[in-house]
Amino acid sequence: MQKPSDELLVAYLDGELGEAELAGVDAYLERDEAVRERVRALTLSGSLLSEAFDELLDEPVPERLLAAATGVKALPAAATILAFRPKTGIGSSRWWIGMAAAASLFGVVFGGSIGYFTATEPFLHGKEADGQVKQSQMAPLDATAVNNSWLDNVAGYHNLFAAPPAGGSDSTVFDIPANGDDANQKISQHIPGDLKIPDLKPWGLEFKGLRQLVIEGRPAAQLYYTTDNKALGPITVVIATSKRTDVAPTYDQRQNINLLYWRHMGRAYAIVGQADKGYMWGLANDIAWQLNAI
Amino acid sequence: MTDAFSERLVASLPRLRRFARGLTGAVAQADDLVQSACERALTRQHQFQEGTRFDSWMFRIIQTIWIDQIRSRDVRKEETEVEDDRFGSDEPVRRVEARLALEEVRRAAARLPADQRAALMLVTVEGFSYKEAAEIAQVPVGTIMSRLARARVALTALLESGSGLRGSVSDAKAQR
Repeated sequence: MQKPSDELLVAYLDGELGEAELAGVDAYLERDEAVRERVRALTLSGSLLSEAFDELLDEPVPERLLAAATGVKALPAAATILAFRPKTGIGSSRWWIGMAAAASLFGVVFGGSIGYFTATEPFLHGKEADGQVKQSQMAPLDATAVNNSWLDNVAGYHNLFAAPPAGGSDSTVFDIPANGDDANQKISQHIPGDLKIPDLKPWGLEFKGLRQLVIEGRPAAQLYYTTDNKALGPITVVIATSKRTDVAPTYDQRQNINLLYWRHMGRAYAIVGQADKGYMWGLANDIAWQLNAI
Repeated sequence: MTDAFSERLVASLPRLRRFARGLTGAVAQADDLVQSACERALTRQHQFQEGTRFDSWMFRIIQTIWIDQIRSRDVRKEETEVEDDRFGSDEPVRRVEARLALEEVRRAAARLPADQRAALMLVTVEGFSYKEAAEIAQVPVGTIMSRLARARVALTALLESGSGLRGSVSDAKAQR
Protein backbone atom coordinates (compact mmCIF):
# COMPACT_ATOMS: atom_id res chain seq x y z
CA MET A 1 0.00 0.00 0.00
CA GLN A 2 1.23 3.48 -0.84
CA LYS A 3 1.48 6.13 1.83
CA PRO A 4 -2.12 6.91 2.80
CA SER A 5 -3.47 10.24 1.60
CA ASP A 6 -5.01 12.75 3.98
CA GLU A 7 -8.39 11.86 2.52
CA LEU A 8 -7.85 8.23 3.43
CA LEU A 9 -6.60 9.09 6.89
CA VAL A 10 -9.60 11.29 7.64
CA ALA A 11 -11.95 8.55 6.41
CA TYR A 12 -10.00 6.14 8.60
CA LEU A 13 -10.61 8.32 11.64
CA ASP A 14 -14.26 8.71 10.75
CA GLY A 15 -14.75 4.94 10.51
CA GLU A 16 -15.68 5.13 6.86
CA LEU A 17 -13.18 2.66 5.42
CA GLY A 18 -13.85 -0.89 4.32
CA GLU A 19 -11.99 -3.78 5.92
CA ALA A 20 -9.25 -3.97 3.30
CA GLU A 21 -8.48 -0.26 3.40
CA LEU A 22 -8.66 -0.26 7.17
CA ALA A 23 -6.12 -3.05 7.41
CA GLY A 24 -3.87 -1.25 4.94
CA VAL A 25 -3.86 1.97 6.95
CA ASP A 26 -3.33 0.09 10.20
CA ALA A 27 -0.33 -1.65 8.73
CA TYR A 28 1.11 1.61 7.50
CA LEU A 29 0.62 3.29 10.84
CA GLU A 30 2.61 0.56 12.55
CA ARG A 31 5.70 1.24 10.54
CA ASP A 32 5.59 5.01 9.80
CA GLU A 33 5.99 7.49 12.64
CA ALA A 34 5.26 10.49 10.38
CA VAL A 35 1.86 9.08 9.43
CA ARG A 36 1.12 8.29 13.06
CA GLU A 37 1.90 11.90 13.94
CA ARG A 38 -0.33 13.07 11.11
CA VAL A 39 -3.19 10.96 12.42
CA ARG A 40 -2.65 12.31 15.92
CA ALA A 41 -2.86 15.91 14.69
CA LEU A 42 -5.99 15.21 12.67
CA THR A 43 -7.55 13.45 15.63
CA LEU A 44 -6.82 16.34 17.96
CA SER A 45 -8.18 18.98 15.61
CA GLY A 46 -11.35 16.94 15.17
CA SER A 47 -11.77 16.51 18.92
CA LEU A 48 -11.24 20.19 19.52
CA LEU A 49 -13.75 21.09 16.86
CA SER A 50 -16.38 18.84 18.40
CA GLU A 51 -15.75 20.24 21.84
CA ALA A 52 -15.79 23.83 20.60
CA PHE A 53 -19.21 23.40 19.05
CA ASP A 54 -20.63 21.11 21.71
CA GLU A 55 -20.45 23.88 24.26
CA LEU A 56 -22.82 25.91 22.10
CA LEU A 57 -25.56 23.42 22.93
CA ASP A 58 -25.68 24.88 26.43
CA GLU A 59 -26.41 28.40 25.22
CA PRO A 60 -29.87 29.86 25.80
CA VAL A 61 -32.18 29.51 22.82
CA PRO A 62 -33.45 32.93 21.73
CA GLU A 63 -37.09 33.57 22.30
CA ARG A 64 -37.73 34.37 18.67
CA LEU A 65 -36.52 30.91 17.67
CA LEU A 66 -38.81 29.26 20.20
CA ALA A 67 -41.63 31.34 18.80
CA ALA A 68 -40.71 30.46 15.23
CA ALA A 69 -40.49 26.76 16.07
CA THR A 70 -43.81 26.67 17.88
CA GLY A 71 -45.60 28.91 15.45
CA VAL A 72 -46.61 31.16 18.32
CA LYS A 73 -48.33 34.13 16.76
CA ALA A 74 -51.87 34.71 17.83
CA LEU A 75 -53.37 35.16 21.23
CA PRO A 76 -57.10 34.65 21.72
CA ALA A 77 -59.09 37.80 21.23
CA ALA A 78 -59.76 39.95 24.24
CA ALA A 79 -63.30 39.95 25.55
CA THR A 80 -63.87 43.61 24.91
CA ILE A 81 -63.54 45.31 21.59
CA LEU A 82 -62.44 48.83 22.21
CA ALA A 83 -63.51 51.83 20.18
CA PHE A 84 -61.10 53.58 17.92
CA ARG A 85 -59.99 57.06 18.73
CA PRO A 86 -61.39 59.43 16.14
CA LYS A 87 -58.75 60.63 13.76
CA THR A 88 -58.44 64.36 14.19
CA GLY A 89 -56.20 66.92 12.64
CA ILE A 90 -54.48 64.50 10.30
CA GLY A 91 -53.11 67.31 8.20
CA SER A 92 -51.38 68.84 11.13
CA SER A 93 -49.48 65.64 11.80
CA ARG A 94 -47.37 66.06 8.71
CA TRP A 95 -45.39 68.98 10.05
CA TRP A 96 -43.34 66.38 11.83
CA ILE A 97 -41.89 65.33 8.53
CA GLY A 98 -39.75 68.41 8.42
CA MET A 99 -38.58 67.87 11.95
CA ALA A 100 -36.51 64.78 11.32
CA ALA A 101 -33.20 66.55 11.80
CA ALA A 102 -34.29 68.08 15.06
CA ALA A 103 -35.59 64.72 16.16
CA SER A 104 -32.21 63.18 15.48
CA LEU A 105 -30.71 65.53 18.04
CA PHE A 106 -33.38 64.29 20.43
CA GLY A 107 -32.13 60.80 19.78
CA VAL A 108 -28.56 61.70 20.56
CA VAL A 109 -29.59 63.09 23.89
CA PHE A 110 -31.51 59.99 24.87
CA GLY A 111 -29.46 57.43 23.01
CA GLY A 112 -27.81 56.09 26.11
CA SER A 113 -30.89 54.41 27.43
CA ILE A 114 -30.76 51.29 25.30
CA GLY A 115 -29.68 48.92 28.01
CA TYR A 116 -32.59 50.04 30.09
CA PHE A 117 -34.99 49.07 27.38
CA THR A 118 -33.46 45.79 26.43
CA ALA A 119 -33.81 44.18 29.83
CA THR A 120 -35.57 40.90 29.36
CA GLU A 121 -38.41 38.87 30.70
CA PRO A 122 -39.02 35.15 30.46
CA PHE A 123 -40.62 33.89 27.33
CA LEU A 124 -43.95 32.23 27.97
CA HIS A 125 -45.64 29.66 25.82
CA GLY A 126 -48.76 28.97 27.77
CA LYS A 127 -51.88 31.00 27.31
CA GLU A 128 -55.09 30.82 29.25
CA ALA A 129 -58.44 30.94 27.58
CA ASP A 130 -58.91 34.61 28.34
CA GLY A 131 -55.73 35.48 26.52
CA GLN A 132 -53.59 36.01 29.58
CA VAL A 133 -50.24 34.36 29.57
CA LYS A 134 -49.94 31.86 32.38
CA GLN A 135 -46.60 31.72 34.17
CA SER A 136 -47.02 28.13 35.32
CA GLN A 137 -47.29 26.91 31.73
CA MET A 138 -43.75 27.90 30.83
CA ALA A 139 -42.12 25.25 28.68
CA PRO A 140 -38.87 23.68 29.92
CA LEU A 141 -36.81 25.64 27.41
CA ASP A 142 -38.24 28.98 28.50
CA ALA A 143 -35.74 29.43 31.29
CA THR A 144 -32.96 29.35 28.77
CA ALA A 145 -34.45 32.26 26.84
CA VAL A 146 -34.41 34.74 29.71
CA ASN A 147 -31.32 36.61 28.62
CA ASN A 148 -32.40 37.48 25.12
CA SER A 149 -33.28 41.02 24.26
CA TRP A 150 -36.48 42.52 23.01
CA LEU A 151 -34.68 44.40 20.30
CA ASP A 152 -32.97 41.29 19.00
CA ASN A 153 -36.36 39.68 18.68
CA VAL A 154 -37.86 42.70 16.97
CA ALA A 155 -34.98 42.83 14.48
CA GLY A 156 -35.25 39.09 13.96
CA TYR A 157 -38.94 39.29 13.19
CA HIS A 158 -38.22 42.10 10.75
CA ASN A 159 -35.61 40.02 8.97
CA LEU A 160 -38.03 37.19 8.71
CA PHE A 161 -40.41 39.40 6.79
CA ALA A 162 -38.08 41.67 4.93
CA ALA A 163 -35.51 39.20 3.66
CA PRO A 164 -36.65 37.38 0.54
CA PRO A 165 -37.22 33.77 1.60
CA ALA A 166 -34.84 31.46 -0.18
CA GLY A 167 -37.60 29.09 -1.12
CA GLY A 168 -40.23 31.55 -2.22
CA SER A 169 -42.50 34.11 -0.68
CA ASP A 170 -44.66 31.81 1.38
CA SER A 171 -43.35 33.09 4.71
CA THR A 172 -45.02 36.46 4.20
CA VAL A 173 -48.33 35.34 5.57
CA PHE A 174 -50.26 37.75 7.70
CA ASP A 175 -52.58 36.95 10.52
CA ILE A 176 -54.55 39.96 9.44
CA PRO A 177 -54.11 41.30 5.92
CA ALA A 178 -54.62 44.98 5.21
CA ASN A 179 -58.33 45.43 4.74
CA GLY A 180 -59.29 48.59 6.53
CA ASP A 181 -61.40 48.54 9.62
CA ASP A 182 -60.96 44.85 10.27
CA ALA A 183 -57.24 45.29 10.80
CA ASN A 184 -57.90 48.19 13.17
CA GLN A 185 -60.40 46.13 15.08
CA LYS A 186 -58.14 43.11 15.32
CA ILE A 187 -55.12 45.02 16.56
CA SER A 188 -57.18 46.57 19.32
CA GLN A 189 -58.37 43.12 20.31
CA HIS A 190 -54.86 41.77 20.39
CA ILE A 191 -53.31 44.70 22.20
CA PRO A 192 -55.87 46.13 24.57
CA GLY A 193 -56.29 49.87 24.41
CA ASP A 194 -57.11 52.57 21.96
CA LEU A 195 -55.09 51.56 18.95
CA LYS A 196 -55.22 51.79 15.18
CA ILE A 197 -53.02 51.05 12.23
CA PRO A 198 -50.81 54.10 11.58
CA ASP A 199 -51.41 55.64 8.18
CA LEU A 200 -47.99 56.06 6.59
CA LYS A 201 -49.08 56.75 3.01
CA PRO A 202 -47.64 60.27 3.13
CA TRP A 203 -44.29 58.59 3.65
CA GLY A 204 -44.80 56.40 0.61
CA LEU A 205 -45.49 53.35 2.76
CA GLU A 206 -48.44 51.07 2.20
CA PHE A 207 -49.74 48.88 5.01
CA LYS A 208 -49.84 45.25 3.88
CA GLY A 209 -50.89 43.39 6.98
CA LEU A 210 -49.96 42.46 10.50
CA ARG A 211 -48.81 39.48 12.44
CA GLN A 212 -49.86 38.85 16.00
CA LEU A 213 -46.87 37.92 18.09
CA VAL A 214 -45.92 37.23 21.65
CA ILE A 215 -42.68 38.96 22.57
CA GLU A 216 -41.28 38.28 26.00
CA GLY A 217 -44.57 36.87 27.08
CA ARG A 218 -46.62 39.88 26.09
CA PRO A 219 -48.92 40.43 23.15
CA ALA A 220 -47.35 42.32 20.28
CA ALA A 221 -48.26 43.23 16.73
CA GLN A 222 -45.88 43.51 13.82
CA LEU A 223 -47.19 45.83 11.13
CA TYR A 224 -45.70 45.43 7.70
CA TYR A 225 -45.36 48.35 5.27
CA THR A 226 -43.92 48.27 1.78
CA THR A 227 -42.83 50.82 -0.77
CA ASP A 228 -41.50 50.76 -4.30
CA ASN A 229 -38.49 52.69 -3.07
CA LYS A 230 -36.07 50.00 -1.99
CA ALA A 231 -33.97 52.55 -0.14
CA LEU A 232 -36.85 53.11 2.27
CA GLY A 233 -38.68 49.87 2.68
CA PRO A 234 -39.93 47.54 3.73
CA ILE A 235 -40.59 48.88 7.21
CA THR A 236 -42.05 46.99 10.10
CA VAL A 237 -43.63 48.66 13.09
CA VAL A 238 -43.91 46.68 16.30
CA ILE A 239 -46.38 47.64 18.99
CA ALA A 240 -46.34 45.64 22.19
CA THR A 241 -47.69 45.83 25.68
CA SER A 242 -45.13 46.60 28.34
CA LYS A 243 -44.98 47.07 32.08
CA ARG A 244 -41.71 48.92 31.98
CA THR A 245 -41.21 52.59 32.57
CA ASP A 246 -41.40 55.05 29.71
CA VAL A 247 -38.36 55.54 27.50
CA ALA A 248 -37.83 58.34 25.00
CA PRO A 249 -37.30 57.47 21.34
CA THR A 250 -33.91 55.88 20.95
CA TYR A 251 -31.94 54.77 17.94
CA ASP A 252 -30.16 51.44 17.73
CA GLN A 253 -28.90 49.00 15.13
CA ARG A 254 -28.81 45.27 14.64
CA GLN A 255 -26.37 44.43 11.88
CA ASN A 256 -27.67 46.46 8.93
CA ILE A 257 -31.10 47.02 10.46
CA ASN A 258 -32.02 50.38 11.97
CA LEU A 259 -34.33 50.48 14.95
CA LEU A 260 -36.11 53.35 16.63
CA TYR A 261 -37.89 52.36 19.79
CA TRP A 262 -39.60 53.95 22.73
CA ARG A 263 -42.06 53.15 25.49
CA HIS A 264 -45.03 55.17 26.51
CA MET A 265 -47.86 54.48 28.91
CA GLY A 266 -47.72 50.71 28.98
CA ARG A 267 -46.75 50.13 25.40
CA ALA A 268 -43.47 49.57 23.62
CA TYR A 269 -42.99 50.73 20.05
CA ALA A 270 -40.32 50.00 17.51
CA ILE A 271 -39.77 51.02 13.91
CA VAL A 272 -37.51 48.65 12.06
CA GLY A 273 -35.99 48.92 8.62
CA GLN A 274 -33.04 49.84 6.50
CA ALA A 275 -34.11 53.40 5.71
CA ASP A 276 -31.86 56.22 6.86
CA LYS A 277 -32.09 57.60 10.36
CA GLY A 278 -33.73 60.88 9.41
CA TYR A 279 -36.56 59.09 7.65
CA MET A 280 -36.97 56.74 10.59
CA TRP A 281 -37.14 59.64 13.02
CA GLY A 282 -39.77 61.30 10.91
CA LEU A 283 -41.77 58.09 10.91
CA ALA A 284 -41.40 57.76 14.66
CA ASN A 285 -42.74 61.23 15.25
CA ASP A 286 -45.69 60.70 12.96
CA ILE A 287 -46.55 57.33 14.45
CA ALA A 288 -46.21 58.69 17.96
CA TRP A 289 -48.56 61.51 17.08
CA GLN A 290 -51.10 59.25 15.40
CA LEU A 291 -51.13 56.78 18.29
CA ASN A 292 -50.93 59.39 21.01
CA ALA A 293 -47.77 57.66 22.05
CA ILE A 294 -45.45 60.42 23.08
CA MET B 1 -49.25 22.54 12.59
CA THR B 2 -49.22 19.50 14.84
CA ASP B 3 -47.98 19.73 18.40
CA ALA B 4 -45.73 16.71 17.88
CA PHE B 5 -44.06 18.34 14.92
CA SER B 6 -43.57 21.57 16.82
CA GLU B 7 -42.17 19.72 19.82
CA ARG B 8 -39.63 18.00 17.63
CA LEU B 9 -38.67 21.31 16.13
CA VAL B 10 -38.20 22.96 19.52
CA ALA B 11 -36.17 20.01 20.79
CA SER B 12 -33.85 20.24 17.82
CA LEU B 13 -33.21 23.98 18.16
CA PRO B 14 -29.90 23.71 20.05
CA ARG B 15 -28.45 21.42 17.40
CA LEU B 16 -29.84 23.52 14.59
CA ARG B 17 -28.25 26.61 16.13
CA ARG B 18 -24.94 24.80 16.50
CA PHE B 19 -24.99 23.71 12.87
CA ALA B 20 -25.99 27.17 11.69
CA ARG B 21 -23.25 28.73 13.80
CA GLY B 22 -20.75 26.49 12.13
CA LEU B 23 -22.00 27.49 8.71
CA THR B 24 -22.20 31.22 9.30
CA GLY B 25 -19.57 31.79 11.96
CA ALA B 26 -21.80 34.46 13.51
CA VAL B 27 -24.42 34.32 16.24
CA ALA B 28 -27.01 36.65 14.75
CA GLN B 29 -26.68 35.25 11.24
CA ALA B 30 -26.99 31.75 12.58
CA ASP B 31 -30.17 32.56 14.47
CA ASP B 32 -31.65 34.27 11.44
CA LEU B 33 -30.88 31.15 9.48
CA VAL B 34 -32.51 28.87 12.04
CA GLN B 35 -35.53 31.15 12.25
CA SER B 36 -35.99 31.00 8.48
CA ALA B 37 -35.58 27.23 8.58
CA CYS B 38 -38.25 26.90 11.28
CA GLU B 39 -40.66 29.00 9.29
CA ARG B 40 -40.04 26.93 6.21
CA ALA B 41 -40.34 23.67 8.09
CA LEU B 42 -43.70 24.66 9.53
CA THR B 43 -45.07 25.66 6.16
CA ARG B 44 -43.78 22.48 4.55
CA GLN B 45 -44.23 19.97 7.31
CA HIS B 46 -46.44 17.91 5.04
CA GLN B 47 -43.32 17.19 3.00
CA PHE B 48 -41.58 15.51 5.93
CA GLN B 49 -41.85 11.75 5.67
CA GLU B 50 -42.51 9.99 8.96
CA GLY B 51 -39.98 7.27 9.57
CA THR B 52 -37.13 9.33 8.18
CA ARG B 53 -34.73 11.34 10.30
CA PHE B 54 -36.17 14.66 11.36
CA ASP B 55 -32.76 16.13 12.11
CA SER B 56 -31.48 15.28 8.65
CA TRP B 57 -34.52 16.96 7.14
CA MET B 58 -33.96 20.13 9.17
CA PHE B 59 -30.23 20.22 8.46
CA ARG B 60 -31.01 19.95 4.81
CA ILE B 61 -33.39 22.90 5.01
CA ILE B 62 -30.77 24.96 6.80
CA GLN B 63 -28.10 23.97 4.33
CA THR B 64 -30.35 24.88 1.39
CA ILE B 65 -31.29 28.27 2.82
CA TRP B 66 -27.67 29.00 3.64
CA ILE B 67 -26.50 28.20 0.11
CA ASP B 68 -29.26 30.38 -1.30
CA GLN B 69 -28.21 33.21 0.99
CA ILE B 70 -24.61 32.89 -0.06
CA ARG B 71 -25.64 33.09 -3.67
CA SER B 72 -28.17 35.88 -3.34
CA ARG B 73 -26.65 38.10 -0.71
CA ASP B 74 -22.97 37.45 -1.13
CA VAL B 75 -22.62 36.70 2.55
CA ARG B 76 -18.98 37.18 3.41
CA LYS B 77 -16.77 35.77 6.05
CA GLU B 78 -15.82 39.31 7.01
CA GLU B 79 -19.25 39.67 8.57
CA THR B 80 -18.30 37.16 11.19
CA GLU B 81 -18.78 38.73 14.53
CA VAL B 82 -16.94 38.19 17.74
CA GLU B 83 -19.10 36.27 20.13
CA ASP B 84 -20.22 37.92 23.31
CA ASP B 85 -17.97 37.55 26.28
CA ARG B 86 -20.09 35.44 28.57
CA PHE B 87 -17.50 34.84 31.22
CA GLY B 88 -17.94 36.24 34.68
CA SER B 89 -15.02 37.90 36.37
CA ASP B 90 -15.15 35.38 39.18
CA GLU B 91 -14.59 32.37 36.94
CA PRO B 92 -11.27 30.65 37.29
CA VAL B 93 -8.75 32.03 34.84
CA ARG B 94 -7.90 28.60 33.59
CA ARG B 95 -11.49 27.90 32.61
CA VAL B 96 -11.75 31.22 30.80
CA GLU B 97 -8.57 30.51 28.90
CA ALA B 98 -9.83 27.09 27.94
CA ARG B 99 -13.05 28.51 26.62
CA LEU B 100 -11.21 31.17 24.70
CA ALA B 101 -9.14 28.39 23.18
CA LEU B 102 -12.34 26.72 22.01
CA GLU B 103 -13.49 30.02 20.59
CA GLU B 104 -10.26 30.11 18.64
CA VAL B 105 -11.16 26.73 17.20
CA ARG B 106 -14.54 28.04 16.08
CA ARG B 107 -12.88 31.05 14.52
CA ALA B 108 -10.46 28.80 12.69
CA ALA B 109 -13.39 26.75 11.37
CA ALA B 110 -15.10 29.94 10.23
CA ARG B 111 -12.11 30.69 8.02
CA LEU B 112 -12.67 27.58 5.93
CA PRO B 113 -14.58 27.71 2.64
CA ALA B 114 -18.34 27.36 3.08
CA ASP B 115 -18.63 23.90 1.51
CA GLN B 116 -15.83 22.56 3.68
CA ARG B 117 -17.39 24.05 6.80
CA ALA B 118 -20.66 22.35 6.02
CA ALA B 119 -18.98 18.97 5.55
CA LEU B 120 -17.01 19.43 8.73
CA MET B 121 -20.07 20.36 10.76
CA LEU B 122 -22.19 17.52 9.43
CA VAL B 123 -19.64 14.75 9.95
CA THR B 124 -17.21 15.82 12.64
CA VAL B 125 -19.58 17.81 14.86
CA GLU B 126 -23.02 16.36 14.14
CA GLY B 127 -21.83 12.81 13.65
CA PHE B 128 -23.55 12.03 10.38
CA SER B 129 -22.04 9.33 8.21
CA TYR B 130 -20.56 10.33 4.87
CA LYS B 131 -23.62 8.96 3.14
CA GLU B 132 -26.01 10.90 5.36
CA ALA B 133 -23.96 14.06 5.02
CA ALA B 134 -23.95 13.66 1.26
CA GLU B 135 -27.73 13.39 1.24
CA ILE B 136 -28.11 16.49 3.38
CA ALA B 137 -25.65 18.50 1.31
CA GLN B 138 -27.04 16.98 -1.88
CA VAL B 139 -23.64 16.09 -3.27
CA PRO B 140 -21.94 12.74 -4.00
CA VAL B 141 -20.27 10.87 -1.14
CA GLY B 142 -16.91 11.34 -2.81
CA THR B 143 -17.38 15.09 -2.72
CA ILE B 144 -18.11 15.00 1.00
CA MET B 145 -15.03 12.86 1.51
CA SER B 146 -12.71 15.23 -0.32
CA ARG B 147 -14.22 18.37 1.22
CA LEU B 148 -13.91 16.84 4.63
CA ALA B 149 -10.30 15.88 4.15
CA ARG B 150 -9.38 19.35 2.90
CA ALA B 151 -11.25 20.89 5.81
CA ARG B 152 -9.58 18.70 8.43
CA VAL B 153 -6.14 19.32 6.99
CA ALA B 154 -6.74 23.07 6.75
CA LEU B 155 -8.18 23.23 10.25
CA THR B 156 -5.22 21.34 11.64
CA ALA B 157 -2.85 23.72 9.86
CA LEU B 158 -4.75 26.78 11.10
CA LEU B 159 -4.68 25.57 14.68
CA GLU B 160 -1.01 24.67 14.49
CA SER B 161 -0.09 28.04 13.03
CA GLY B 162 -2.34 30.04 15.34
CA SER B 163 -2.35 29.78 19.08
CA GLY B 164 -0.97 26.30 18.70
CA LEU B 165 -2.75 23.00 18.46
CA ARG B 166 -0.92 21.62 21.45
CA GLY B 167 -1.68 24.68 23.51
CA SER B 168 -5.32 24.55 22.57
CA VAL B 169 -5.54 20.91 23.49
CA SER B 170 -3.96 21.39 26.89
CA ASP B 171 -6.13 24.44 27.58
CA ALA B 172 -9.25 22.58 26.61
CA LYS B 173 -8.35 19.57 28.67
CA ALA B 174 -7.64 21.76 31.67
CA GLN B 175 -11.32 22.55 32.10
CA ARG B 176 -12.43 18.92 32.12
